Amino acid sequence: MNKFLNLLIKEVKELITLQLLISLLFTIFIFYFIGQMAKTEMKKAMRTQKIAVLNLDDSPFSDELIGNLKTANFQPEMVKDRDKQKAIEATKATDTNLLLVIPQGFGQSLETQEVKEIETYSYLRTFSLIGSRSSVIINAVIKALNEYLSNDFLKKKIPDIGPEKIKNPIKSRDFVIVKDRMAEGKAEAVAGFVSSQSIIVPVILMMIIIYASQMVISAIAMEKQNKTLETLLTVPISRTSIVTAKMLASGLVGLISAVIYMFGFRYYMSGFMGDISQAAAASGVTGVIQKLGLTMDTKGFLILGVSLFIAILVALALATILGVLAEDYRSAQSLILPLMVLVMIPYFLCLFSDPRTLSLPAKILLYVIPFSHPFLTTQNLFLENYSAILYGILYMLAVFVVLIIGAARIFSTDKVLTMKLKFRKKKVQF
Amino acid sequence: MENVLKVAGLKKFYGGLEALKGIDFEVGRGEIFALIGPNGAGKTTALRIVATLLSPSDGKVTFLGFDVKKQPEKFREKISYLPEEAGAYKNLKGTDYLKFMAKFYANSEKELKEYIEQARDIADLGTRLGEKAGTYSKGMTRKLLLARALMTKPHLAILDEPTSGLDVINALEVREIVKRFAKEGISVLLSSHNMLEIEFLSDRVGLIDKGRMLDTGTSEGLKEKYKARNLEEVFRSALQ
Repeated sequence: MNKFLNLLIKEVKELITLQLLISLLFTIFIFYFIGQMAKTEMKKAMRTQKIAVLNLDDSPFSDELIGNLKTANFQPEMVKDRDKQKAIEATKATDTNLLLVIPQGFGQSLETQEVKEIETYSYLRTFSLIGSRSSVIINAVIKALNEYLSNDFLKKKIPDIGPEKIKNPIKSRDFVIVKDRMAEGKAEAVAGFVSSQSIIVPVILMMIIIYASQMVISAIAMEKQNKTLETLLTVPISRTSIVTAKMLASGLVGLISAVIYMFGFRYYMSGFMGDISQAAAASGVTGVIQKLGLTMDTKGFLILGVSLFIAILVALALATILGVLAEDYRSAQSLILPLMVLVMIPYFLCLFSDPRTLSLPAKILLYVIPFSHPFLTTQNLFLENYSAILYGILYMLAVFVVLIIGAARIFSTDKVLTMKLKFRKKKVQF
Repeated sequence: MENVLKVAGLKKFYGGLEALKGIDFEVGRGEIFALIGPNGAGKTTALRIVATLLSPSDGKVTFLGFDVKKQPEKFREKISYLPEEAGAYKNLKGTDYLKFMAKFYANSEKELKEYIEQARDIADLGTRLGEKAGTYSKGMTRKLLLARALMTKPHLAILDEPTSGLDVINALEVREIVKRFAKEGISVLLSSHNMLEIEFLSDRVGLIDKGRMLDTGTSEGLKEKYKARNLEEVFRSALQ
């Protein structure tokens, strides 16, 4: 009989409860539902939208502006009443969210190069970002029209020189250099794409660590609460096996939960952002990324996987010790907090700052926390800082060994029964 | 009778608190030895040390020649412990719980089946064994746990308040079972507040108070020694 396998199966069975399955399915459903809803709303926003137009000018220029609106996916609906206030009121009564007022003399002012204002009225019937999208589009249309008119004017006035040369006499060619590779492209586009791709790593790690740690803490706390721990500790199996089985089962179930959670999260994000890689391909960033070698190959994924795996082991070992401190299931829930803080600090530091430019105390804090290292691994992989990755992995391994020895020692001594973190007076049963 | 469990000069400190102040007792093969004493006397601490849950601060505990401090794993192969406040895994069915525990002791499928059958017989829970332990009453859980403790026929069964939470009928059944197993050669170390139970079950008794062993002997011998009618009076006299 394989005693360890027996224990491991029991631990997994204990963790995969109906409540867990329901909560996971519910999470996926909610994410899928919100994602789909967001996708539908985005599609709606992209569809031809109605725009009420009060044209007080009736010149070829105003007709051209209205024509341009059609090409920008708007369906102009002309307001018959010539009074602006009445037009505002009339549009309010309809389901149209935007009113464009072209003032009298608009065309003439363009001919005389006078600045003339057109007015847009957005009806905010909802405060969602999607609700204000139409006014963003119309501003883009006006910008394009301004470009067209100014170019037209310059062509007429200075026919020998192209308008582009007059407006932008200095042109820049942008190059990005990463290590010994160089490619033509915008640095912000490259940085934006890389961070959008690597942001998923800390999110996954955070999810797995929190899920798995919560499970191992709860598993030990439940043993205490259900009074099963004492019996388990007297069966002929080593205490190290008990600790390992709990950690492994929690790691497995935590990993599965996190994958399911991320699956739902992907639906959720795609609803709002669409496919990032498709957008990047369309903007031409992918070519630059490939030239710069900022793509993750099999070796990169493997290194990242090792780094993530060791970080999870560290979290589980720490959670095991924290679990011993728990008196019952309720107190176990609050004990996850220190672990979450340890994950959140590097998460935010890596997300919003450059680790190299941090102050010395902040830098020390970042590198001392073992969970920082997998967060930094993606960037270090792209920048080929393999020594930094190696030191990170070795450091995490050292922390893991110390913690696992500590956890096994606690489980091998009285401390597993007597160590408690509680604020009430300690009671010892004789 | 050969003494299989030997406890000598056993001390236990919880920080600065001395819970056991050097107690001595021995348990023979197939003998039922009961520790009696008031709350906080040190009974559970003594039982937990023998069950390898706590390590002794001083003194020696040996079972069949194995030292509890040096060879706890060997100890665990021979013993079975039923804590006073124990539970079963609520998500596991009664049978699955028994199977899970039996697998730690069984060396073959045949042995595993024998243990489960034995446990079914002791627990006497019928079809309820097919239901999750979380649905059991306190009495049913206790019977399941007792079945778990005795199914492997351990060399030493350590039973802390074995009939705790059981009704009269179930308590009677449990006492019969313990007695039957002792006759088959299992040594039993138990503690109980129920003096009638102790008188019925035990071959010998240890009177413990404030971490000290006041006296040991058979129920009859102690009653005679202290000129008492029952164990409660024995205990009162021993305290004086």
